[in-house]
Amino acid sequence: MTTIPRPLALLAELTYRCPLQCPFCSNPLELARYRDELDTSVWQRVLGEASELGVAQVHFSGGEPLVRRDLVELVRTARERDLYSNLSTGATTATPEKLSQLRSAGLDALQISLPDSDSAANDWLTGAPSFKQKRAAVAAAHDLDFPITLNVVLHRYNLDRLDEIIRLATDWRVDRLELAHTQYTGWAFRNRARLLPTRAQVDRAEEVVAAAELKLAGRLQILHVLPDYFQEFPKACLNGWGSTFLTVAPDGAVLPCQTAREIPQLSFPTVHNKSLEQIWFDDPVFQRFRGCDWMPEPCRSCERREQDFGGCRCQAYLMTGDPAVTDPVCQLSPEHELVEQALSDAAEARDELAFRVIPASPLAR
Amino acid sequence: MKNDSQKATQVKLARGVRYRWDGVREQHQLLYPEGLLVLNDTGAAIAQLCDGRSADEIKRTLANSFSDRQVENDIDDFLERLAQRGLVRHDNDP
Repeated sequence: MTTIPRPLALLAELTYRCPLQCPFCSNPLELARYRDELDTSVWQRVLGEASELGVAQVHFSGGEPLVRRDLVELVRTARERDLYSNLSTGATTATPEKLSQLRSAGLDALQISLPDSDSAANDWLTGAPSFKQKRAAVAAAHDLDFPITLNVVLHRYNLDRLDEIIRLATDWRVDRLELAHTQYTGWAFRNRARLLPTRAQVDRAEEVVAAAELKLAGRLQILHVLPDYFQEFPKACLNGWGSTFLTVAPDGAVLPCQTAREIPQLSFPTVHNKSLEQIWFDDPVFQRFRGCDWMPEPCRSCERREQDFGGCRCQAYLMTGDPAVTDPVCQLSPEHELVEQALSDAAEARDELAFRVIPASPLAR
Repeated sequence: MKNDSQKATQVKLARGVRYRWDGVREQHQLLYPEGLLVLNDTGAAIAQLCDGRSADEIKRTLANSFSDRQVENDIDDFLERLAQRGLVRHDNDP
């Protein structure tokens, strides 16, 4: 057994509460089950433990982390602990005052989600008027000299507007544009048949991105997260389970990835009983898919096993019921036909999109 | 040509790029949104001087610490590589 590397990044999911209802959200479906949120002092302890464990970057995420009243305080703690801090936000409540407070507290970078470059389509996807607020937040972030990543999740409904999306990113003068095809977990899995694009859409998108990368080199950095359903091999999910990333969920559960709770065969430790260090090195759930020893065939003898680590465990579970098989998006997977089936089902899908809602959502704290 | 323009301009870490010493791993790091670059001692010394001075000034400053003649070329190469990754910018503005 090789030595276990220390994690570089912590995803701090402060809350699952969110004013938006994006149907491609990767948050769990049973949002109301996780309404108990860690308080400020526990998060501060967690940030300290993360720093001691070797984490260099913290991503404050959610839900919408801006609904937490202690966000500025937590950003300040991250800076005191010498962590580089990112905030992933829908930005509808990112007022100039709030952004300025975050900047002063030491926030390093902003990632703002934008479902669509078309304001009506954007507002339809978020289930609330949000386009104008997002544009205003980007402008305010510029005034504070924040580095800005615009994050656009791609799917059937916006993929044909990719030229327009890229133009908007240059008009808004963001530093980076992340074009991330939907990962089909959480709400997105539930809506998969309605969100999956066609192969023709995907092929054209690749051409558009390639042309834009050439044209905009040095002006706009484009990160294109490819749609794994259309690839030959799976994505190197998490850079390998328990190798680089860890997530702390709103209720304090410590997860190897933010969607790992999809897998009912696993149970997760919490920050209440153990330190992050103990959990990272010793907890069975972090050991479960670490390295290559757990792998079945065709992964076990595959020369790519340390390139893609067998793909995504959540996806393997969601499609096959077994989290310990090769990710079916791999063409070598004996269950790859499940992906082909999903693509052909999507071509005929008629059902409605399910927007992300939290039943009886708790009061803001 | 490129070197001439670099000499005239200010070299700065790009927005959101930050140098950090990782005490747990005992390594130099350059952190940026969604990523991290591990630096050696020379790289770290250069990165920490990308604060608006010119490439020439960086070379003069480091000439004292590194006697090696090769260092001048290394600095140009290193700055060029960082620029390609969008981690430093060459600025004409004050």
